[in-house]
Amino acid sequence: MKDDLEKYIRQCMQNDRAGQLKIYQLFSPVLYGICLKYMKNEDDAKDVFQEAFVIVFQKISQYKFEGSFEGWLKRIFINKLIETLNKKKKESFFLDVFDPDTDFTEEEELDNIPIEQEKLLEYIRDLPDQYRTVFNLYVFEKMKHKDIAELLKISEGTSKSNLNRAKRILQKRILSIKNFKIA
Amino acid sequence: MKKQNIEDIFSSMENFSSVPPPELWANIEEKLDQPKKKKRAILWWSAAACLLLGLLLPSVLYFSSNTGIKTLENNTGGNNNVVIEENKKDNHDIKVISTEEKSIEKKSGIVEGTSAKTSKDKTANTNENQTKEVAIAHSDSKNKRNTDSSDIKLNSQNSATNQAVTQQTTASEKRSQFNSFSKNKNLNSEKTNTNQVVAQKTFTTGNHNQFNSFSKNQNAFNSAEKNQFSETEKRNADKILAEKTFTTGKQQNHFNSPSKNQMSNSIFENQMNSNTNSIASNSSDSNLGKKQVTITDNKKEVAATTTIKTEKTVADSAPKSNSKFSNVLSKQDSVQLAELQNLEKGIIPEVKKGKEKDPKTKSTAEKWALEVFAGIANSENYKNDKTLGNVNDSKQSSTYGVKTKYKINKKWAVGSGFKINELGQSVANVSYIKTANNAFLTTGDYLVQNSTVPQIASSDSYVLVSNTTKNALSSNNVQSGSLDQSLRYVEMPLEVSYAIFSKNKASISLNTGGFVGKLISNSVAIDGNSLGENLNANDFVYGSTLSSTVQYRVYKKTNVFVEPAMNYYINPLNSQSFNQFQWGLNFGLNVSF
Repeated sequence: MKDDLEKYIRQCMQNDRAGQLKIYQLFSPVLYGICLKYMKNEDDAKDVFQEAFVIVFQKISQYKFEGSFEGWLKRIFINKLIETLNKKKKESFFLDVFDPDTDFTEEEELDNIPIEQEKLLEYIRDLPDQYRTVFNLYVFEKMKHKDIAELLKISEGTSKSNLNRAKRILQKRILSIKNFKIA
Repeated sequence: MKKQNIEDIFSSMENFSSVPPPELWANIEEKLDQPKKKKRAILWWSAAACLLLGLLLPSVLYFSSNTGIKTLENNTGGNNNVVIEENKKDNHDIKVISTEEKSIEKKSGIVEGTSAKTSKDKTANTNENQTKEVAIAHSDSKNKRNTDSSDIKLNSQNSATNQAVTQQTTASEKRSQFNSFSKNKNLNSEKTNTNQVVAQKTFTTGNHNQFNSFSKNQNAFNSAEKNQFSETEKRNADKILAEKTFTTGKQQNHFNSPSKNQMSNSIFENQMNSNTNSIASNSSDSNLGKKQVTITDNKKEVAATTTIKTEKTVADSAPKSNSKFSNVLSKQDSVQLAELQNLEKGIIPEVKKGKEKDPKTKSTAEKWALEVFAGIANSENYKNDKTLGNVNDSKQSSTYGVKTKYKINKKWAVGSGFKINELGQSVANVSYIKTANNAFLTTGDYLVQNSTVPQIASSDSYVLVSNTTKNALSSNNVQSGSLDQSLRYVEMPLEVSYAIFSKNKASISLNTGGFVGKLISNSVAIDGNSLGENLNANDFVYGSTLSSTVQYRVYKKTNVFVEPAMNYYINPLNSQSFNQFQWGLNFGLNVSF
């Protein structure tokens, strides 16, 4: 299977459309999922998805067969997503002010209530852009605050603060469901 | 009830995936065809323009300076056609030194010392401070003819260059046309292939009725020749790709709102890759009921649909990570996710998320580079320039400096820095007289300092004698030696670099640009004895440079490089011929940051 993947990548490097289609078929669901998580609405997600895939095929010759190909694809997509979000911002995209007292309060543990993925996606997408981006990078991409700060050109403190606020918003949403279900 | 935090709750979203609407691939395909060509064309044109500029600039400068030197030679009388007459006013003894050089048969005009006034007029550049008068006769017509011919030659060279350039341009245009044509051709064939692939990889999903309808389509595809897809067939293929349905109990994909009943063939395609040529998945799930999800390889099962080899329950392949939500997630979603995740696991088992550094961040982190280098340089004489009647020889010198480069993008970079460089020349068999050994001579009063020989050095201890004069002087005091001249500059180059090759740790780039240099050291020596400074040296010098850097990464951000280079100096001296071309080979260390 790995050999097949390598074959498709090499085909893409030759600008072979069949290889490109294969790569698209293999990775589009995961990458489209990422786009949906980062962008507020589906149309924006589609736009970024298309643009990022075009970049992937244009730059695939730069892939050195070192490390995971999926990781490489994801990085391109995440960069594109962040670039798009940055372009969209009209005012300060990231909240630069944080209050350690309020931003670093203990996170309340929640009961293990099952929530549909669809709902979870909705909650994530309802977050303000800046919180959502940091949340995605930290929780799903497992990036450290230092790396997030470097990538988003914000301070480490702002990254932490944004994450904490995102968590609190999500917490409230989940609690409201729980209360609703109990009621 | 088990407690969990936000991150645990959202952990299931980590591998969240959703099948994109089918029309997105068509859009991507469309985009892939259009802008890339333009971008490539722009890159090629800019690279060609850069190269042309780099090559033309020194050529233009070379030819323009060549004309200037010719004029200078004419003005100074040259060393080939000289008759020197020494007129000693003190004792009224007119001593005529009449010399004809090897090239006397060229019919040089002879002007006697008595017509000094005329000669003065003719030699406009005669140093007025000179008390001795030397008549220089030029064979005007000859010289003029020479000049003319040189001009003609120059013009012809220029026109040849232009012609060459035009031819190159035409050739490149032709090539471009050819390329674009062939590319189009390729593209067409690619498109055909793609269509073929799309058609070949069409799967049928759904119930038995759908399967039958698929068979129809399949026949339609198979009846067509592989490489000859008609437009209708292409459309059919695309349509079929888009119309593939994933029929489940719910027949709904929550995460794919615009085309909820549609699903790209990616899942099935991957399934095919991971299993056999055909897979039939019978869902045992009650929600799916009796409907089957049948995946059949269109290509391999044309005649007989005999091979439904694997029966597999979709529920079996449900991911463990989603198990806790399986009771609430729709079964259809579970099916989809299971397949997607199996797919991911099958293909890339060792996905390391977030561990590798972002390529973009990496590239932005390495925008700057600092170089230290040292090397050798060889100043060359390509124009057969002469000094004091002897041909200027090349001279080797050392060079070193620091340079910083800024990467504009992957291909282009600009750079500047400081470099200590030396331009020099060596002239063999230069005749000279030591003034200290000769009672009759002082630097100020000897013939060397007249119009025929430009005053080179500032020192009074030695008098340089031109070849012609040497023959006239049958003096024992005349010695021969090697005249070394060095002009050391601190230079500031401004360069543009284009990376023509970059793979793994190695890269090759072409650099071109200009530089300005400030004279910091100026020395003339004959046989190792200093004659002081060259009086004609300009304090500031300008030039162009063309080089190629071959770089290899040795450790993290540290590279070693070799840089063959060619420099052209426009104006090292005012009125004396001097080596203006310089070949160099630099070695250095480059640190990116």
